[in-house]
Order: sequence, then structure tokens, then C-alpha cells
Amino acid sequence: MANYESDYLFGQWLDNALTNEEREAFEALCLSDEAFAAQVETATQLSVAAEQFTPPPMPAWDKNATFVAPDKPRWWQWQGLPMMSMAMSALAMVMVVSGFSMQVSEGKLTMGFQQGPSDEQVAALVNQKLNDYQQANQTMFTQYVTALQQQQQENSTQLTQYLLTSSRQERREDFAELIKFINQQRDDDQRYYARQLTQLQREINSLDDGYPAITE
Amino acid sequence: MFEKRDEQLIEQALKGHKKAWFALIKRYESAIYQYGVRMTGNPHDAADLMQDIFIAVFRSLTNYRGEGSFKAWLFRIAHFRCIEFYRRKRPDSPLDDNDELSCERPCPEHNLMTDSTSQALTAAMQRLPLAQRAVIELKFFGQFTFDEIADQLGLSSNTVKSRLYSALSKLKLDLEVEHG
Repeated sequence: MANYESDYLFGQWLDNALTNEEREAFEALCLSDEAFAAQVETATQLSVAAEQFTPPPMPAWDKNATFVAPDKPRWWQWQGLPMMSMAMSALAMVMVVSGFSMQVSEGKLTMGFQQGPSDEQVAALVNQKLNDYQQANQTMFTQYVTALQQQQQENSTQLTQYLLTSSRQERREDFAELIKFINQQRDDDQRYYARQLTQLQREINSLDDGYPAITE
Repeated sequence: MFEKRDEQLIEQALKGHKKAWFALIKRYESAIYQYGVRMTGNPHDAADLMQDIFIAVFRSLTNYRGEGSFKAWLFRIAHFRCIEFYRRKRPDSPLDDNDELSCERPCPEHNLMTDSTSQALTAAMQRLPLAQRAVIELKFFGQFTFDEIADQLGLSSNTVKSRLYSALSKLKLDLEVEHG
């Protein structure tokens, strides 16, 4: 049997940690050492007394005094806020870089990451735009030419009418001048003939003086 | 029903759940009150000490790291509060092994205990120095090992054993006298 110190054995016994060999040594020591046995007996009595201990009834006491509700942090003091802010910034950057697109059509919301159009698509798109532009220009030119022709025609008509009107007036005036001239000539002729007649009459009258019978 | 672990109750209490804290108190108030009765020998002082201990525990709850059992941590705080309690009561008295800080006469409140053996044991413990009384309390009533007690009291295991043996010798005499 190993030679153990009494204090060690007593301590192991109190901790309920005796090995079989230690237990044998412990029991042998209890039989051989009265002081040790008395100490063990006291400890046993105390253990039994502790198990059977009847405490006074639990008094009513103020449990609320022991509790202090912690201050609830405000929403802006939330520790996750900076992290969330950073995450949102990163998300925004990813959305910008990756070409995130969101479409609403027929009451449907479509979100996705759209890549840019290919070269063929760009060329087709440019061609279509050019064709559209060309057609629009052509239409516009046609309309412009038509309008120009119409305006030219109107101008020509107006000029013709003007010319016709003005030549007619001139002719009328010419005729008037002619008639006036003729009338004047006739007046002159009449005057001439009148003078001739008058002269003739005078001559006749003078003859009359010489030839009264004729004058009567 | 499944009972929540101490750590879960502590976590909830720290978040402000009063019920969790009260559940934790309910789990340990009887042990702490009995500790108080045996350490002070007075039910009224024990009630005050119990409240003092739970206030200190709640204040220190954030410092509990989960290293070791909550019960051991609780009784460590209880021991410090008990020392403070005696310091307030007798500011000039040292609290070492030689200190005979005890009730000089039997406290009438002992009669509140229904069992005569319990009364005798409580009275006998009051005649022990506080340091020895704490070791007896933790060993026989708290069921802690010597290493755990040494850790709680901040002593070596041998010192704890030495105090226990001294206390047992004194208690032996007292209990023999009590039982005639």
C-alpha cells in the first residue's frame, strides 16, 4: 500500500475523488489514526447537517431593485448602420459597373444586369436610324419642292395676269389716244372744212353781190 | 419543459428581458439566501445581503465570460459582498484567519429556523472566523471542490484546505457542546 499523507487523503475524500488504492489507504488510516478518524467523523456530521439544513422561509424581497433596464440605443446608434451603409454603397457601385437595368412593362417589374449591345446590333441600329433620317429628309424635301413649285406657279399666274391686265390697259389707253387723235383730226378737218365752207360762202356771197339772182 | 441554460438567461437579461433575469434569480435565490443565513447568522441580514449580492451580480453581468459555471461566479461575488457586509458592520476589524468575527451571543433570529440541528449548525458557524466560515460554506453547502473554492477566494488550494481543517476542529468542539 502506498504511503499517502493524511491531509492529501482527507482532501481527496472531501472532493469525492479517491481512487481505489487511495480509498484503501484512507480506510486504513481511519482505523489506525484516531485524530484522523475524528476529523472524518466531524466532516461527515457536517455533510449530513448540510444536507438536512432547514433554512428559514424565503422572505419577500424587492427583486425589481436588482434590475436596471439597459438604455435602448437609438436607431442611428445601431452598430450595423455603418456596415449596412458600406454594403449599400458597394451594391450601388456594382449596379453601375455591371449595367443593372430595371424595366416596368405591363405591370411587371423586371430587374437584371444587362450587357451592352454587340457591334452588329450597333451597326443595325445606326443603319436604321440613318434610313429613318434619310426618309424623313426625303419627305421633307419632297414637301419643300412641292411647296416651291406651287409658289412658283402662283407667282407665274400672278405675273401673267398682271402682264395681261397691264397690256390691256395700255392698249385701251392707246386706243383712247388714237380715238382722241382721230377726233382731234376730225375736229381739225371740220374746222378746216368749216373755214373752207365759210370762205366759200364768202366767196359766194361776194359773188352774190355780183350775181343777185343766183343768190336768190 | 426544457429549462433555459444560465448563459441563455444571462444573454436575455443583458438585452433587457426582466423575466429572464427573474428566472435566473429564482434559480439561485434560495442558495444565496441560505448562504446569507449561514454567513451572517441572521435572516434579516441574509435578506439584505441577498439583495446586495443580486444587485452586484446584475451590474457585473456583462463581465461574465462564461468561463466556469455561473454558480461559481455567483458565489465568488457573494463572498466579496459578504466581506463588504462585514466591513460595513465592523469597519475596524481585520478579516483574516485570526479574526474572531462572530456573534458573541446566540442571535434570537436563529429561532426562525424550525430544525434544531440547523439552528445549532448556524450558531456554531457564527463562532468561526469569516475566512474559515466561507470555506466551510462553500465546501459543505456549495459542494465546490478545493480547486474551485481556491479560485473563488483567490487563494491557493493548500490554504483553503488548511482553513477547512482548522474550521472543522473548532466546529467539532462546538457541535459536541451543542449535543451535550
